[in-house]
Amino acid sequence: MTTTAGLAAGPGLHAWLLLAAVLFCIGIYGVLSRRNLVAILCSVELMANAVNINLVAFSRFHGDLLGQAFALFSVALTVAEVGIGLAIVILVYRARKGIDVDELDLLRG
Amino acid sequence: MLILALTSLLAPLLCFALLAVVEPLRRRGRLAGRLSALVAVSSFAAAARVAWMVLVDGADPVTWTVHWLVHEGQGFAPVGIHIDGISASMLAVVTLVAACVQVYSLGYMADEPPAAQGRYFAWHSLFIVAMGLLVLAPDLLQLFLGWELVGLCSYLLIGFYWRKPSAGKAAVKAFWVTKFADMGLLLGIIALFGATGTMSWEHPPAGIWALVVPALLFVGVMGKSAQVPLHIWLPDAMEGPTPVSALLHAATMVAAGVFLVVRAYPLFEAAPAMLTFMAWLGAITALVAAVTAVVQDDIKKVLAYSTCSQLGYMVAALGSGHLMGGYFHLTTHAFFKALLFLGAGAAIHAVHSNSIFDMGGLWRKTPVGAALFIVGALALAGVPGFAGFFSKDLILEELLHAGHLGPLLLLVVSAGLTAFYMTRVVAIAFFGEPGARAAHAHEAPWIMLAPMALLGMLALVGGFGGGLLAEAWGQEYHFAVTPVGVVTTLFGLAGIGVGVVRYGTRTWTGLTLDGLRGFILSGPVDRFWDSAWRRGLLPVARMVGWFDRYVVDGLMNLVAVAVLKLGAGVRRLQTGRAQDYVFAVVVGALLFLAYGVVGG
Amino acid sequence: MTGFPLLSTIVAAPFLAAFLLFFVPATSRATTRIIAVAGTLVSLAGSIGVAALYDPAGPIYQLREKYPLVPSLGIHLDLGVDGWGVSLLLLTSIIICAGVFATWTMQERDQEFYILLLALVGGVFGVFVSLDLFVFFLFYEIAVLPMYLLIGVWGSSKKVAEAGPFRWIFRLLDIGGKEYAAMKLTLMLLAGSAFILVGVLAMYKAAGLDTFSMEALGAVDYPRSLQMWAFPALWLGFGTLAGVFPFHTWSPDGHASAPTAVSMLHAGVLMKLGAFGVMRVGFVMLPEGAQAWAALVGVVAAINIVYGALSAMRQTDLKYIIAYSSVSHMGVVMLGAATLTIDGWNGAVYQMFAHGLMTGLFFALVGLVYERAHDREIFHMGGFARAMPAVAVFFTIAGLSSLGMPGLAGFVAEFLVFLGAWRGPFPWWAVAGIFGAWVTAVYVLRAARQIFWGEGPSDRYPDLSDPRGPEWVALVALAACLVVFGVAPRLILDGIDDASADYLQQIEAAVAATADASGVRP
Repeated sequence: MTTTAGLAAGPGLHAWLLLAAVLFCIGIYGVLSRRNLVAILCSVELMANAVNINLVAFSRFHGDLLGQAFALFSVALTVAEVGIGLAIVILVYRARKGIDVDELDLLRG
Repeated sequence: MLILALTSLLAPLLCFALLAVVEPLRRRGRLAGRLSALVAVSSFAAAARVAWMVLVDGADPVTWTVHWLVHEGQGFAPVGIHIDGISASMLAVVTLVAACVQVYSLGYMADEPPAAQGRYFAWHSLFIVAMGLLVLAPDLLQLFLGWELVGLCSYLLIGFYWRKPSAGKAAVKAFWVTKFADMGLLLGIIALFGATGTMSWEHPPAGIWALVVPALLFVGVMGKSAQVPLHIWLPDAMEGPTPVSALLHAATMVAAGVFLVVRAYPLFEAAPAMLTFMAWLGAITALVAAVTAVVQDDIKKVLAYSTCSQLGYMVAALGSGHLMGGYFHLTTHAFFKALLFLGAGAAIHAVHSNSIFDMGGLWRKTPVGAALFIVGALALAGVPGFAGFFSKDLILEELLHAGHLGPLLLLVVSAGLTAFYMTRVVAIAFFGEPGARAAHAHEAPWIMLAPMALLGMLALVGGFGGGLLAEAWGQEYHFAVTPVGVVTTLFGLAGIGVGVVRYGTRTWTGLTLDGLRGFILSGPVDRFWDSAWRRGLLPVARMVGWFDRYVVDGLMNLVAVAVLKLGAGVRRLQTGRAQDYVFAVVVGALLFLAYGVVGG
Repeated sequence: MTGFPLLSTIVAAPFLAAFLLFFVPATSRATTRIIAVAGTLVSLAGSIGVAALYDPAGPIYQLREKYPLVPSLGIHLDLGVDGWGVSLLLLTSIIICAGVFATWTMQERDQEFYILLLALVGGVFGVFVSLDLFVFFLFYEIAVLPMYLLIGVWGSSKKVAEAGPFRWIFRLLDIGGKEYAAMKLTLMLLAGSAFILVGVLAMYKAAGLDTFSMEALGAVDYPRSLQMWAFPALWLGFGTLAGVFPFHTWSPDGHASAPTAVSMLHAGVLMKLGAFGVMRVGFVMLPEGAQAWAALVGVVAAINIVYGALSAMRQTDLKYIIAYSSVSHMGVVMLGAATLTIDGWNGAVYQMFAHGLMTGLFFALVGLVYERAHDREIFHMGGFARAMPAVAVFFTIAGLSSLGMPGLAGFVAEFLVFLGAWRGPFPWWAVAGIFGAWVTAVYVLRAARQIFWGEGPSDRYPDLSDPRGPEWVALVALAACLVVFGVAPRLILDGIDDASADYLQQIEAAVAATADASGVRP
């Protein structure tokens, strides 16, 4: 159990949020700019973890454990998502002999 | 009397319906022809009885009408039968000539295929109905109905030999030209209705309409009665079988215009300027057509131009303010011109050619036909004693009284020319050198000669019927020798004399005027209308059609293409790449954020 | 009016026949035709019954029937017929009967063809008897839409020469193709429908009566500002279907591409829906707007007449000639309407009737010729009268009616319209109309001469023959109607006159009331 004094000693909430925001932006940048599907998936993971950091940070500063439980839940979900995502990537690779997203434009109008 | 008049109208109608619907009957051409001729004769009998009752017994005029149209619950536009002196006598003349021509046609058309004969007689029956409608009309609308229907019969009969390209051209030309003129007639009727609320000729409209209405009506007359410059269809109309030319394009249908003026005279009388115009136009037509007739080699063309010319006489006569002369000439002309055409038909039948030079010396081969033709020619030339003499004399007399000296002069000159060109035809075709084709010529059968003989008799004595005709107006008519008559007769005799000297005895052949001849034969009026058609209407139609296809429709297509292009533009936003969509989401989210920060 | 529901029978019969056709095996061609003919004959009998029962002296709408449809919005299936409707019902049933007979020999997907045709005609009947504006519009759309498939599937294509300022468009659109024609027709008419819908809804809202009943909406005195924009919306909306210049260009391509019966029905009846709509909804229900815009309507109509006739003169394709003649003749209808006179209105409705018969006959004949000659270029043809004399005769009859030959129905109509135009505000409209009739004479007789007269036919056309069997029925019936209604116009003119007089009275009363009201105010 942490104390209020311990809180004061460490970095403030803003710092954590800033870290999460930076991570999130890196994730977005990755999603938008990488052409490799696996890399995009990794970037999505970064974004998901940025959210988790937020959850944990708020939980910590509010003194409510529900947030941390939620973060754990989210991590589990992310694992499932990665599983499905990688499966899709493999299927795409089999179908198209490549995982370059620029060539995946079947929706083009 | 009403029943009789109706009979003379309905019998041919029934005959037409029978021939039109019952195909086996029509295909048996001779039977159809006999039926049709019988009906025509009975139609004449009924009409003659009506005319007798009105003109001799002095029966009162009868009118029976029903309302053809309706507005605001009120019937209007009466159609039916109106019998008075004018309509009764005209009906008798029309049915008489029609009966003669139909009987004659039984012989003339005998060599045609049976189905074609059936068609021919069906249309002839229809023509009698149409002409009856026109003549018995109680007001201008019904007159117009009949007027258009006779035009239709004319179109169909000119195009009787429809496989011949020239016949097809002539038929549509006749229809177009007369229909063009009919625009004026229809507009005149409508304007009359607009001004007076009726389509009756009894009440002239007031103000400017008093001039406009008759002027518009007269445009129709110019087309139908072949007045310059709308006469161009009549010579071409000779493509039809010769009996058709005799009935429609000489005796009756083309006279419908003159009849219209006679009928609607109260309207014309109210516009003195119109009368003067008619006198001049008629006289000019008479002269121009007479000059043109002189240079024709086709016997039917000569007669056609002569018809134009004589119609000019009638129109000019009506311009004098008197009705009797024009109407009298209409009747006598119907007899002798029909006779002339039937005679020409007999000659054509004999030599199978229209050219007077192919005929040559027919007198020896076909004496009866030639004699009858010559009777007609003498009547046309206005030789004293023949029918044409009396009516022509009366016309000139009336013009003198009205003081139209210019037209009078032109008509007197035309009388000389008329005599000249008829002498030319007679001299070349019936006397002169025997033509190449005349060798095997033989007399026409009696069924053709009998009606000609009847008409010939009328051409001889018809002039004495003037008194009877004058009854139609309750007037007296007595022939008197006058200076004008003497001068005209002298002109006529001179024309005959010159003709005999030049073409008969060939003692004088100088003065050929080849330049003038060439100019006339080139058809200046025809060329004018032709260029109006080629350089006027056709290019305009082409332009409009092009404009519609490529500009109006092009604009519609442009709208369609613009939408397509817009779609194509918008489509480019859909790259199909998930990253682009995410990018758009991010940008959108940032924009919302910015709005929250700045605007919120 | 009690008794047998005659009007709903007329409307329902074609729909019912179409529905039955779904259950007929595609191979039984005879059954297909019997059902189609039966459906149209029921409607024909009903229409004749309506014409016999209609009493010109009675109330304006007769044979009323009313069933609730969407009562909460005030929508009812409210049927009734006025003097105009009587003659147009008669026309529609004659044309559809003739159309079924004229396509008797059709081979390709005949069952689907008849289903669509019957559905279409059911919609047409519905429009003519609807007294509820919403249902009116509904039926109108039902009538317009099947045309897309009918032309797109059964139509024929033609190459159009590339030229003009928009030449580059030819690369983008298949101009002259049947899909192009079908698409163009449908899109233009639907664009028109959008205008109509706006106008209708505006009236519904402005009236505030929560009903679509045309009687109730017609009695409302709409504000002038509304009338001034709603009337042109309705005019252009319905007018597109009536071929109003310059929105007529769907008509030549559409009619030329459409199969025989469809051209007959479309030019013969459907274009009348447009004109009927303009008069019945536009002129009658928005009298002030109508009066204000009448001059423009008339001028455009006069342009239509002359422009259409001149365009027809330039065509060398038989179907295009007839199609443009429809544009010209529908101008006569609109001209009559624009005169706002009794004769003009009578003539306009009579012209709808006469033109329907005439153009129906024309397209039936064109179909016949095309089917046998496999060619539509008139300058290839010649001397066809030898091989098909009856066709030549019927063509001449139709042509004569179109150029206004007395004794045929067209003359009555044109004469009345010109009379009305002359007595209306602008007499020169009559001159334009009469000139148009003359140009009609020029192109119709030229076409007749080119096709039927002269030497020939050459060996290129081995299959020429006169009509066979059921085709005769169509031709004789239409030609006979042209003659009968040309000789005795009062058979239907009395009824038409009754309705026109009533409507014109309404208009005058409405305009006079507004004039009074504005006179009171300083």
